[in-house]
Amino acid sequence: MTSIEIDGAEIRVELSELEHRLLTTLLTDYTEQVDGDGLAVLFPNAYPDDPDAAAEFARYTRSGLVDRKTANAGIVVRDLATGANIPTGMRISLTAEAFDTWMPILTDLRRILADRLGIEHDDDPVDESPVGDVYQWLGELQWRMLEALDTVAIGDAPQ
Amino acid sequence: MRIDSRSPYSTGAVSTDTVSSDTDIDLSHRVTVELDATWTTTVWNDPVNLMTYVTQVFRRYFGHSAEEAERLMLLVHNEGRAVVATGPREEMERHTEAMHEYGLWATVTRADS
Repeated sequence: MTSIEIDGAEIRVELSELEHRLLTTLLTDYTEQVDGDGLAVLFPNAYPDDPDAAAEFARYTRSGLVDRKTANAGIVVRDLATGANIPTGMRISLTAEAFDTWMPILTDLRRILADRLGIEHDDDPVDESPVGDVYQWLGELQWRMLEALDTVAIGDAPQ
Repeated sequence: MRIDSRSPYSTGAVSTDTVSSDTDIDLSHRVTVELDATWTTTVWNDPVNLMTYVTQVFRRYFGHSAEEAERLMLLVHNEGRAVVATGPREEMERHTEAMHEYGLWATVTRADS
């Protein structure tokens, strides 16, 4: 399982070869599909009671959101590709900035899988299936990264 | 929160010989202020986001203290939603877009609706 260490202002995430390959594959699919209609689940309705305002909001924000989501995915892919090889897989060093790139991307990946798994409520059980396993793993990875980032990131505004 | 605190009424006294034109300006300001003040950004509970993530987004994006961020997150979790900002519509849309970028479910609402 993934191991995470804190070193000064950095966190070090160690992924097995399988985890590294899995994440890279998920991100490749994500980048290819994020601007299509298939991933509408990533773009919530900002005006549920006002279809006109909802459409206008989507028109003004969608392409920018797609661009930034794509850019964030690109940063995560780059971080994955430039990690250090270690006997058990790959070690990736990240700073507080990862909160604004890795965390939204892990959230989106989990959102897509949750949609496929039919998870609609807080207490919905997760299928014991390959997709369910990946969903659970991503959740644990995100939770543990958040815990580590919390110790190096908080107080830094993104502006 | 990020409510623009500049007041259109604080620009000085109105002299009697310019009352009519200044009244016009004041009226337009009053209309603007009313529109500006009546919008909110609401974040909704969803089955995917981790509580600790929502808290950290509130801290990082809105610059809230840990306590305030936690309070808002618990509102989202327990009540199903929380108003996280109030102010001009454009600003509320910008916050909503930012929440969508972080992967949170957010909506824009008229505060009085």
